[in-house]
This record gives sequence, structure tokens and C-alpha cells, in this order.
Amino acid sequence: MFTVFIDQFWQLTVSGIALGFIYVLIALGYTMVYGVLRMINFANSEIFMWGTFGAIVASRDLFGYNQTSEPAHGAKLALVLFVQLFASMAFAGLTAVTVEFVAYRRLRAKGTNRLATLISAIGMSMVLSEVMRLLTASRPVGSPRILEKVILVEVWGAQIRLDTLITIVAAGAIFIILERFVKLSRMGKAIRAVSMNEDAAKLMGINLNRVITTTFLVGGLATGAAGFFYVTVYEYTKFNIGFTMGLAAFTAAVIGGIGNIRGAFFGGVALGLAEVYASAILGTQWKSVTIFIVLVLVLLFKPSGLFGEAVTQTRA
Amino acid sequence: MNKKIKASAAIVAAIALSFGAFATTSASAATKTFTLAYQGPLSGGEASTGIDEQNGVKYAIKVFEAANPGYKINLVSVDDEGDPAVASKVAPGVGTNTKIIGLIGPAYSGATIASLPYYKAGNLTVISPSATRVSLTDPKSPTAKSDYGRPIFHRVVATDDKQGPALAKFATDGVTSPKVFVFDDQSSYAVPLRGYVEAALKNVKGATVVGGGDSVPNTTTDFSPTIAKIKSSGANVVIYTGYYSQAAVFVKQLRDSGSTAVFAGGDGVFNQQFAVLAGKSGEGAKLTGVAGLADVDAKIEADFKAKIGVSSGVYAVESIDAANIFLSGIKAGKTTRAAINKWVKSYNFKGIAGANIKFNQHGDISEGGFAGFLVTGGKLVNKGPVA
Repeated sequence: MFTVFIDQFWQLTVSGIALGFIYVLIALGYTMVYGVLRMINFANSEIFMWGTFGAIVASRDLFGYNQTSEPAHGAKLALVLFVQLFASMAFAGLTAVTVEFVAYRRLRAKGTNRLATLISAIGMSMVLSEVMRLLTASRPVGSPRILEKVILVEVWGAQIRLDTLITIVAAGAIFIILERFVKLSRMGKAIRAVSMNEDAAKLMGINLNRVITTTFLVGGLATGAAGFFYVTVYEYTKFNIGFTMGLAAFTAAVIGGIGNIRGAFFGGVALGLAEVYASAILGTQWKSVTIFIVLVLVLLFKPSGLFGEAVTQTRA
Repeated sequence: MNKKIKASAAIVAAIALSFGAFATTSASAATKTFTLAYQGPLSGGEASTGIDEQNGVKYAIKVFEAANPGYKINLVSVDDEGDPAVASKVAPGVGTNTKIIGLIGPAYSGATIASLPYYKAGNLTVISPSATRVSLTDPKSPTAKSDYGRPIFHRVVATDDKQGPALAKFATDGVTSPKVFVFDDQSSYAVPLRGYVEAALKNVKGATVVGGGDSVPNTTTDFSPTIAKIKSSGANVVIYTGYYSQAAVFVKQLRDSGSTAVFAGGDGVFNQQFAVLAGKSGEGAKLTGVAGLADVDAKIEADFKAKIGVSSGVYAVESIDAANIFLSGIKAGKTTRAAINKWVKSYNFKGIAGANIKFNQHGDISEGGFAGFLVTGGKLVNKGPVA
């Protein structure tokens, strides 16, 4: 039972961290919006899915790569990857802002309760995934191989592959940039102010709608970046991948303490590792069971998650 | 459109019609129209299989209509996405639509089980070209109550208890002291097939089943734990009993991890799209499936391409055979569901591959087996029957 775990420990750890970093970025999408609006943006999983298509549209339609083309090298590689990342983030960011505009803003203006927004969020999530289902005739879409998956080094039997390394480094960088943005920038301060007390923030002259739109945009950008890494590593997407990935990332956000940006980070990495370890020890069929047992246990002892709730607490 | 133009248009149409009537003489007056249905995944991740099969059915109907003027066959497309949940939603409507006198399909075993209650209730005879789960025709299986399809279920394909040994043999062929890792996708097709493969591996000389296998939900995209198990077990052959879209994602990750183990799959992976999606990583994959139309008869294949516009795909032979059984029944005047059922039960004619098709009391044919295919240069290349 534990032989695989012991034998492949470092390899599993590397894979788990890479998967975890993708969760971190999606979890940021949930956590940012929750921090400001105290609302779960269920459409975030589909925003992620749209982001994955952004990356594929860029490489396939913009650069003309197909399943049989050779991977890119050198400057071309950097250019294609950068454009893919940009396209994913733009696709997802735009989708997120549109969702906010179409599904939430009017409800907020009318002063409806949170339940109405919640249903609206679930509705948006269905709309987004069904639209993509129709656009792709429900088929899986393979991504051309842009990045050759060379094994850079082997440490203690763990292979560090180029795509794993890029995912960990770049996703980490994006996380730090966002965290700094919320912590240090003027807009970030406004976001935290709205999160602490909406009415007081309004009285201080903060433009509430602008703050909320920015929050959705930032969350969407992070989620879109996750879409890019997903496509780079797995070279595959489909209209229904959002559900599984979104649920996992949402769980990560809750484990870390939803609304808490650092919580999303630790929650994401912890969840990635837990999934991989559980699959190796008990078998992949026990993956979801294990994760939700972990979630229940965490919430039992720390009901507001490991790092506590709300963006406000990230203040130094 | 003003009245004048309308009137003149009507006159033109009338003239055209009367010319048409003269041209086709009196036969068209007595056109007999019947309705058959095809059920399988026509959208969704598995759509490629369903579209291939439906093309086979369409071809059979075209040939029949050309040979028998006066008959018109409508084909109803029933899309179950290969998913039992979808099948249980679409099947009730098909079951109660008595215009449909026979159904070719369902393509997949899980979808078949979900549809059976409605077709049994409506006495709608079905002939599947590709549902291979054993319990569908086995009254003694533990799940016979829900799965056993008698009297309406038939299939023109061999079953997984035959496929298991074929897959075990073909996958390990040419590998010295094969250590085999087997895993499934938790579907009602893949789980029993994995059992048959593992059982059959015991009879393959020198082969051992290693690593304890795995059972991976079909929504999985990260296979790193499974790959860790494969590496830890030292397997040199990996057999996946699920379907092609997941198999393509998996085999890429397997190759990227540096593994050179043989990858093999059953008829669920047996699809041209597997080779397309997997790209270079799919090269050398060993799949069990059924011989294609081009292997059976190049002349029919050429005609197929001319009539349908594309080359035949997977299960073309089986789909054409299944459609022909119904079509010959219609020709023989069996035009109700009850009469068709009787016709199919007593059917005993040659299929296009040359072997006689005759169903036993459970709905199985005695003939038929599986062939081995090797993915070479992005194509599935037939390596002959595996017995």
C-alpha cells in the first residue's frame, strides 16, 4: 500500500505541487470575489475553462500549430507561450467582467439578497459551459505541443520537467504579483476597504462598482493564467473540465480560509499534494473521498479554514 | 411575393412535378416508408465512434434503397453521448415512438443498460454493433436483473470475455517476461473488461500482473499518481480498458514521464481519434478492435466512400450488418415491432464479412472475434485476428 508512496515520494511531491499551483490560481478567483462581495462566484470554474480555450485558440489559430507540428524553440517558444498566457488571461478576465456586468451588477443595484446572486452565479456557470459545449460539439479539444517536455534534472528519483518548472515558477510569480497588488496598490487598498466595510468605504469616496469590477478582473486574470498552465501541462481541454477543477479549487480556497489570499495559496498546494498522495496510497478511486474527509476535518476544528476568513486579515 | 408571381411559381412547380412523376413512372406512387433508429454517441467526447457507426448504417440504407425502389427508410439519430445518464433521458421517447420498428445500437454498454427498460417495455428490437459487456447477454451474471437484454437485445460483435484474452495476448506479444499494469476508468464497460484481461494474463506464459492496477474516474486529467504506480511496479506493459479520449491524455503523460512501456487498450480506445489526439505519444500503441471495412472488402469500401463522402470508420462492418438485418426484414414484409423481433430471432444469413449471422437465445452471435491493431504513423494498422 505504501510502497508506491515511499518509492515515488519526490516524484509525487513535484507533481502535486505543480497541480497545486494551478489550484492556487483558480482558488484566487473564488477568494478575491468572496473577500469583497461575500459571495461565491460559481461561474469561476467556467471562467477557467474559457481560459483554457484562450490558450488553444492562440497557439492553433493565431500561430497555426496543429497536432503534428514540431514544438517551438528559442525566442519563438517564448513568444508563443507569452501570447498564449496573455490570451488565456484576456479570455478569462473578459468573461469574468462580463459575468459581473450581466449577472450580478443589476441584482446588486436592486439590493436583492445573496441567494438571488448565488442562483444567478450557478445560472451563469451553466450558460458558459453549455455555450462552449455547443461551440465545440462536446468534443475534447487537443492542444498542439508547443513546449517540448524535456526532463531537466532528476533529484532523488523525481523528474523536474520543463513544463512543471515553468508552471511552478510562473504561477508562483503571478501569485506574488497579485498578492502585492492587493496589499500595496491604491486599488488594492480600496478592495480591502470594501471588504472590511462596504458602507464606510463608500463614505470615504471609493467607487464601489469600480472596485468590484477590478476584483472580478483580477480574479479572472488569475483563473485564466491557471487555464494556460493547465493546457501547457495536459495539452487537452473540454467544455466540462471546469466542474472538476473548479470544485477542487473551491475546496482549496475553503481549506485555506475563503477570502484569504494566502490561505488560497496554502490550500491549493495542500490540496494538490493531498490528491496525489491519496491516489498513490489508496488508489485513484479514493481521491475525492479523501479530499472531502480532509475538508470536513479541517472545518470541524477550524470552521473558518486554516488561515481564517476575509481579505482584511492579509494586512501585515 | 405578389399574387402573380405566386401563381406562376405554382404553375412551374406543377409542371415540374408532373414531369417528375412521368420520369419515375408509377412506382413512386406506392413508396413505402419505414423508420429505423441509430443510437450512440453523436456528440460528446466519444462522438467519433457514434458518427462512424451511423455512417455505416446510412450506407446500408442507401444501398438498400437503390436496390429496392419503392422503399424509403427514415433514420432517426438518437444521441446518447455514450453516457448512461443521457441515455436514460432519450430512451423513453424512442421506446414509445412506435414508428421506429428497429434500432441499431446502442453503441456503448453503459448506455445500453440505461436504455433497456424502455425498449423492453416497447418491445423494440435492438442490434448493437459494439456493446461488448458480457452481462448484456448473460442471464447468470450477478447484475442480470438490470443488464440482461433478452428478448430485445442482440449484438453482432463478440463479447469482452473473448476480448479480454485477445487483449492480454496481443498486448504482451513480443515482450519478454511481461509485467503488466492494468487500469480502468470505472465505467460499466471498463471494469469487467479489466477483470477478463487480468484473468487472461494468468494464462499468458511468463506474464505477471503488477502494481495492483488502478481505477481512475473518467474526468481525470492528471495521471501522475497512476504513472508513479506504473514506475514503482516496474511494469513494461500498461493496459487501459477505458475509452479513447482519456487514453490519449494518459499516454501523452506516460511518454513524457520517460516510460517506454508498451501501451495497450481495448475496443474503447480503438478509434482513429486516439491516434490524432495522442500524436507522437500514441505511436506503437496496441489496440484490440474489429476489422475495418477496407480489410473485409476493398470494393465495398470504395463504394462506401463514394456514397457517404468519407472513408468508413470503426465498427463499419458491424453497423452495416446490423442495419441489413432490419432492412431484409422490412423487405420480407416484417413491418411491426413484433414481426421484426421474430425476424431477427430466426435470422440466418451471411454478413458482409462472409460468416453466417445467427443469434443464439441470448442475442449473441457465435462467430466473430477481435483483431490486433498497431498505431503506426498516426493510423490504426490491422495486424490480423488475435485468437
